[in-house]
Amino acid sequence: MPKVTINDRTVEVEAGTNVIDAGLKAGVLIPHYCYHPRLSVVGQCRMCLVEISDNGKKMPKLQTACSSYVTKDGWSVRTDTPEVAEAQKGMMEFFLINHPLDCPICDQAGECGLQDYSFKHGVAFSRFQYEDKRTYPGRERIPLGANVVLNMNRCIQCTRCIRFTQEIAGTGELGFFNRGARVEIGTFPGKELSNPLATCVVDICPVGALTSTRFRFAERVWYLDKKPSICTGCEVGCNITMEHRRGDIKRYKPRFNVEVNDYWMCDYGRSTHERYKKLPRLTSPRMRAEGGNGNAPVVNTGWSQALDAVHAKLAATVPGEIAFLGSGFLTTEEAYLFAKLANIGGPSHRAVAVDLGPEWTIPRHQRPPITGREAAPNRRGAELAGLGGVEVAGLSADDLLNGDGASRCAVLVVCDSDFGKAAWDPEAVARLRQAKFLVVFGWADSPLAQAADVALPVAHHGEKEGTFVNVEWRVQRFERAFPATGQVRPAIEVLSDLLSRFDAGWAHLSASTVFDRLASELQAFAGLSWRRLPATGAALQVPGAVPRLSDAAAETAREASQ
Amino acid sequence: MPDLRLLNAEPSEAERIAIDAALGAANGANGRTARDDRTKRHLLLPALRAAQQRVGWVSEGALGYASRRLAVPPAEAYGVASFYALIALEERPPDVTHVCTDLSCMLKGATVPEGAHPSPCLGLCERAPASYRTIAGARPVEEQIPAVGPPLPQAGQPGLRLLRRIAAGVDPESIDAYIQAGGFESLRHARELGPGAVLREVTESRLLGRGGAAFPTGVKWAAVAQQPALPHYIVCNADESEPGTFKDRLLMENDPHQLIEGCAICCFAVQANTCYIYIRGEYTKSAAILERALKEAYENGLLGDSVLGSGFKLNMYIHRGAGAYICGEETGMLESLEGKRGQPRVKPPFPAVVGAFGAPTVINNVETLCNVPHIITRGADWFKGIGTDERNTGPKLYAISGHVDRPGTYEHPIGITFREMLDKAGGMWKGRQLKAFIPGGASAPILKPDQIDLKMDFDSVAKAGSMLGSAAVIVMDETTCMVRSVARLSKFFNHESCGQCTPCREGTNWMELVMDRLEHGQGTERDSQLLLSICKNIGGQSLCALGDAAIGPVKSLVDRFPEEIEQHVRQRGCPFPQPRYFENGA
Repeated sequence: MPKVTINDRTVEVEAGTNVIDAGLKAGVLIPHYCYHPRLSVVGQCRMCLVEISDNGKKMPKLQTACSSYVTKDGWSVRTDTPEVAEAQKGMMEFFLINHPLDCPICDQAGECGLQDYSFKHGVAFSRFQYEDKRTYPGRERIPLGANVVLNMNRCIQCTRCIRFTQEIAGTGELGFFNRGARVEIGTFPGKELSNPLATCVVDICPVGALTSTRFRFAERVWYLDKKPSICTGCEVGCNITMEHRRGDIKRYKPRFNVEVNDYWMCDYGRSTHERYKKLPRLTSPRMRAEGGNGNAPVVNTGWSQALDAVHAKLAATVPGEIAFLGSGFLTTEEAYLFAKLANIGGPSHRAVAVDLGPEWTIPRHQRPPITGREAAPNRRGAELAGLGGVEVAGLSADDLLNGDGASRCAVLVVCDSDFGKAAWDPEAVARLRQAKFLVVFGWADSPLAQAADVALPVAHHGEKEGTFVNVEWRVQRFERAFPATGQVRPAIEVLSDLLSRFDAGWAHLSASTVFDRLASELQAFAGLSWRRLPATGAALQVPGAVPRLSDAAAETAREASQ
Repeated sequence: MPDLRLLNAEPSEAERIAIDAALGAANGANGRTARDDRTKRHLLLPALRAAQQRVGWVSEGALGYASRRLAVPPAEAYGVASFYALIALEERPPDVTHVCTDLSCMLKGATVPEGAHPSPCLGLCERAPASYRTIAGARPVEEQIPAVGPPLPQAGQPGLRLLRRIAAGVDPESIDAYIQAGGFESLRHARELGPGAVLREVTESRLLGRGGAAFPTGVKWAAVAQQPALPHYIVCNADESEPGTFKDRLLMENDPHQLIEGCAICCFAVQANTCYIYIRGEYTKSAAILERALKEAYENGLLGDSVLGSGFKLNMYIHRGAGAYICGEETGMLESLEGKRGQPRVKPPFPAVVGAFGAPTVINNVETLCNVPHIITRGADWFKGIGTDERNTGPKLYAISGHVDRPGTYEHPIGITFREMLDKAGGMWKGRQLKAFIPGGASAPILKPDQIDLKMDFDSVAKAGSMLGSAAVIVMDETTCMVRSVARLSKFFNHESCGQCTPCREGTNWMELVMDRLEHGQGTERDSQLLLSICKNIGGQSLCALGDAAIGPVKSLVDRFPEEIEQHVRQRGCPFPQPRYFENGA
């Protein structure tokens, strides 16, 4: 592999790497706007001009780092010469003379390429004093589609968004119109930017020209706390940054993971956090009054009373009459503890309920696109942890949700209260309610939670940590973005409490200790540990014996259609 | 899948027929894209032109229909349509006149009548002031006005090479006349020599590209010839749009077969079977005459499946631009040829490696290719014998316009002095004093009369702080306002900047605004420094050469005519009268 020296730091890069990427490897950030590692190189912003010498011979002009590819030894790049600084300064001036400088009312402020590079490479005063700035009257807030708003005045014509729709989304809704200083971006008159990945253009827009309808004016970005997380919209498990202010999630942004979602995520996934604000929250443990039948009122209670009641009920019931209904929203660790609970006095019924949702596909670099069909992130993890799958006999999720399975149960434990559409469907809830004693864990105060004999408020996705196993059997870890408040507790803690009532060895568990336990026990996770789990996740070695729910469903559908 | 959903707007019957005529009949059901149409992307511009010629503008329905047929996302098609100045996207009357207000015409007092559109240079500088009129309809009219220019100044003169047949009055619309005047002998000779020998001869002649960049033609050809990837393409750059330049038009209108022969020899030398001639949209007559000449050449077995019965296959196509100077930049031309916005590509890769449709491509100017038959017939030594030195060889066309007595295209041995050239063009118009001249088209820095004895070859002009470029000489007399002239050129470059790269998009715009301010008395003492600084920030940093071209005139104005800027600032206005020479029909 050729070696290249950038500002006296020598790195070895793969032949064909461009100087911007080589610079990143050497720890030198070469400023750029139009270059994006997944989009074609157009070299048009001219911000990445650098000085390149080939074996000591300086190239006559400054070169654009994005379109200069290291193919052989002997290149020496400088980004700190007076010429380069002068060029960057000149370019910043060009960018800014026609920019409205409306940072105080711009959503991008705080994460804006113009602000950052002005600060680093620009000058603080303007020589554009006598002329009028170029404006696009009537094009300051054009909704390009449902999710993206364009302010043409702020655009720096880098064309990343256009190339995104042409090369990544493949839909080509955006175009570059007119010529010269009047160039603008837009959709064909009367058409919309409506592909499922549309909001990605907001992420890649280096300035405030494209903003997200969803996030518009929601928060100044410097107030946001950001935590690495995983999207729960489907089984792809797009890596995201969960951005919140004091527990109020403001947006999801895709986080780069070349194995899963590359730089992208779908618009649906970005909207999934809205549930936490929109739907009613279960805030306190609730229990049906002592000795009451199905008609007695449900009252708020304390955690220990509630857990004591559940413990007593489980201990007093023969395992064959207990059923556990898990969901694809459980973390693998939670599912593992549930499975343990289900087996504590002998095998009970265990199942995982997952909705089949619309299909979401994320294009990837040098890999086939990844598609999610299930509407939950972790059906695979829950099943591997022992909560379901083919080897688990007994009542299935279908028996419980659509059949009369629940009526045969003395105790039914459902986790969680928002496991799918059925939790909000009165008929399905009525069927589950046929169990003599219904315990529901969950964050949402859904009709299912309201029907429960014991309802236990547990942390939602943003308030807990854990792992999900995605559609390609990749286990990925996510962090807690903020703590649960009030009486809400992480499910791991609750289950650990409950299990320790049977066996003290289960006390005081955390996600990390549970993961390490399950890794030592389950074949699929062998060799993994919480601490050493790579940031991009780890592919599980799962024998093909476990069929994909969605595959089976697709097959059924195919048979039905023939 | 691109988003090709039906738009609400449908094309009118006339538009549909016009577009189908350009693309071939629609095979897809219900106006959907037929499989074979997906390979016709390069016909997008012809389709849009066809619709415009029929109804006078490109409606949403027509644009939608063309994009549907070619499987181009409508946003992209709209981007292409809006790129070209001749394509109208808003309804307008079918009869449109574009009046040239560019430097050469401005010097001769061009005014824009009400209802007409001001236009950048139309390449009719010797007929200044000039205009271009299009009338849409079932029988569309496109005419260059005045239709006939002054006669060739060197008519009847012996010793000419490139202009020999034109000077002798050989009928350009007859291939027989061309053949009788010695035409296609050179192609025959090239066949006998073989590709390697032809290549050697052209390299040996040291022919430099005549389009402006002066790149050695032989080197360019050899680079493509040795590319293992096939096919190879030839693109003839006939997008002559640099203000003041009109030499290629003369060659195409009056000796089309010479160009065809040159193209054919080039194709033979680099083993290309396809040649495109990209003609600027406003050159209506050139396109018509070349079209006719091509037809005759096919009929006479000079093109087609077996050139001169040799088995060498060669097809030539004419592709017409639609009003974009930047399409004269070679990679911008390739993009335009492929049916895209004419935005220059990032280089490398150079066209010799990745050119038209991704294949190795030679791109040569009309005049360059017209030199080739003479080099093959008379040999490299003859060619080298003409000119000033080792590097600057051969005969050269100079298009001279502005304040000279007999403007027009002249053939001189390269390296003739400017004084001699001016004399041969009848001297200064009305016996006035020379104030300034541009030696090589709008992008060349302006020179002062102290350079009157300058040898007009590539290296001498460069040494004098300008460039020979396309050898379009614009002469200005003492009544000329240099600030106004440069302001017009800045306006041209701003108008023609493609807008993709920052320094050119923003810098040319800013320069136009500052120049405009200066001319109208709003200038300040610091503007000279500001202009130089803008020039510095554009120079060498734009994606293609247009940025560098735009700063040439501005820099030379500040450097060589500082007193005139000062005068404008001090007097808060322009001290020169508007040129009004042609008021009495002179």
